[in-house]
Amino acid sequence: MIRRDFSGSLAVAVLLVLVLVPVLGSGYWTGQATRYVVFGMFAMSLSLVWGRTGILTFGHAVSFGIGGYLMASLTMGLFGNEGLFDLLARPWVALVIAVTGAALAAGALGWFLFWGRGVSGAYLAIITLSVAVIVEQALRGLYSLGGDNGLVGVPALGPWAADPLDPAPMYYAVLIFAVAVYLGLDRLLRTRIGAVLTAVRTNPDRLAHFGYSVFAVRLGSFILGAAIAGLAGALFVATDGFASPSLIGFGLSAEVLIWVALGGRSILLAAFLGAVAVRLAEAFLSGVFGDFWLLALGVGFMASVVLLPQGLIATPIEWLNRRWAQGGQGNKSNSRDAPGPASDGKV
Amino acid sequence: MIEALPLVLDALSFVLILVLVASGLVIVFGMMGIINLAHGELFLLGAYTVVVAQGLGVPFWLAALLAPVVVGVIGLAIEFLVIRFIVHRPLDTILATWGLSIAIKQLVVLGFGPGSHSVALPLAGAVTVGAFTYPAYRIVLMVVAAAVIAGTGFVLVRTRFGLLARAVIARPGTAASLGINTGAVNRTSFAIGAGLAGLAGALVAPLISVDPQMGLGFLVPAFLAILVGGASSMTGLLAGSGLVGGLDRFLGGWISPVLAQITVFVMAILVIRMRPGGLFPGRRGRP
Repeated sequence: MIRRDFSGSLAVAVLLVLVLVPVLGSGYWTGQATRYVVFGMFAMSLSLVWGRTGILTFGHAVSFGIGGYLMASLTMGLFGNEGLFDLLARPWVALVIAVTGAALAAGALGWFLFWGRGVSGAYLAIITLSVAVIVEQALRGLYSLGGDNGLVGVPALGPWAADPLDPAPMYYAVLIFAVAVYLGLDRLLRTRIGAVLTAVRTNPDRLAHFGYSVFAVRLGSFILGAAIAGLAGALFVATDGFASPSLIGFGLSAEVLIWVALGGRSILLAAFLGAVAVRLAEAFLSGVFGDFWLLALGVGFMASVVLLPQGLIATPIEWLNRRWAQGGQGNKSNSRDAPGPASDGKV
Repeated sequence: MIEALPLVLDALSFVLILVLVASGLVIVFGMMGIINLAHGELFLLGAYTVVVAQGLGVPFWLAALLAPVVVGVIGLAIEFLVIRFIVHRPLDTILATWGLSIAIKQLVVLGFGPGSHSVALPLAGAVTVGAFTYPAYRIVLMVVAAAVIAGTGFVLVRTRFGLLARAVIARPGTAASLGINTGAVNRTSFAIGAGLAGLAGALVAPLISVDPQMGLGFLVPAFLAILVGGASSMTGLLAGSGLVGGLDRFLGGWISPVLAQITVFVMAILVIRMRPGGLFPGRRGRP
């Protein structure tokens, strides 16, 4: 399942480190790591939508927030506890609803955005930005969903809910989801569908000429990305016990763009590591640098976009991938049957 | 009728603020095609120029003249250091200018603190027409806004620089082969757009509270306004600002301001989706 090239090995190494976090780190860091992994999953979903399919959205957190709010409101029994709602309040059922809800909302928005000639580029960016602002504003005014204060007291997921002092079970549950998302997306992107998604980014007109529906491809990718973002949002509120309007708006949407751009938009693992690295850096450096941290992040982000548009983590990964491929070509070329998607992800 | 007048004038004044903010975007986004998400922060820098000048005892009107120069020079630096490297990657300009916007915002926080500042109204008087009085400064603002739009249009259509700018924007390759220094012209165009944002910030500063987060609140309506109106025409600028700003204030009189803003944004999105060229699409490279 894992490719035998550099990024495959790196993925295994990252997984090993992540598995060891609760063993080696304190409970506090396990709790933090849970959030990092959730954000990493969120970043991977944006890597699919933006890095692969070329849909630059400034409203990706809307899906994250819908997942989070559905999870929170259902498990907290906000709509009542009788009959059907008792079933829906079970965390696992609520999780499924949250993912479905985020996917359906993205389906509606995507339909509106992509049908006909569709919007792209600057128009898409401004429209999605406005949608994120609208949704956040609306949620802040919606007192039945907590308004500005959000929803506090979201129950944790699954059978390990009870013990807040031991974050490890929740961490592993989240990690399993993240690994499943990574393997699933990695697998998907290496099939024909992955090639079609690349084509819709690089040359939609030609793809249409080949008989594909650009609309359907864009919509499908948008919905899948939203479903994963919704999953991440639901897991986040179950970890945090708290859903707030800041999860759904423009702020987090822009943040996830920064993680993915800094890490590398076209490689899933780089996007994941970008999210983890920025959050880690923030945890350590914002204490040291204080207000200078945001300044450094802004300047660093700008510099990375100008100088290394493929991302700070993806660029070395791609370079090492090529090095490994060249090194392996001589003696065991038969074991390398197909080139990885990383090599075709450049424009 | 007379009861509705304050509402009308309040809406009109917001529309003119929006026109001022968006006029720089017409050049930078509408004509040059650069999606500058730091435009709100250039506006912010204009307002802070006035705040600093006020602290030094410089009269307001001198500060208002200084602000576009200061922000224009900053725009020149931004074009030289960042924009010219990514002008061929339009989507990356969105990201880079977003990073720039974070950095400027944070610089302002570091320099002036996160709190808000206020600028004294330079014209305290009011003009009385019949039974109705209206603040004199807002009337001056309307006149200045109209002059700025006329002036920008004049520079772009009637001057040699305007001709060069439009040539470079419309056909960069042809312009370069005719011996026009396209880099310099682009830099100047961007600086003019930035200067207009700075002027808007300076003129609006006495009417609002100046704080480091105020940029985004103007950036989104300004972008929506020029997209609704038509990104590269002065008619579009006026129509779009009028629709977005006017509707926002009129609806705000009946329903809550938040609900009004949501309604306006939704309507703007619908218009942009249905008519991607805007209501008054101009030709590329023409104001």
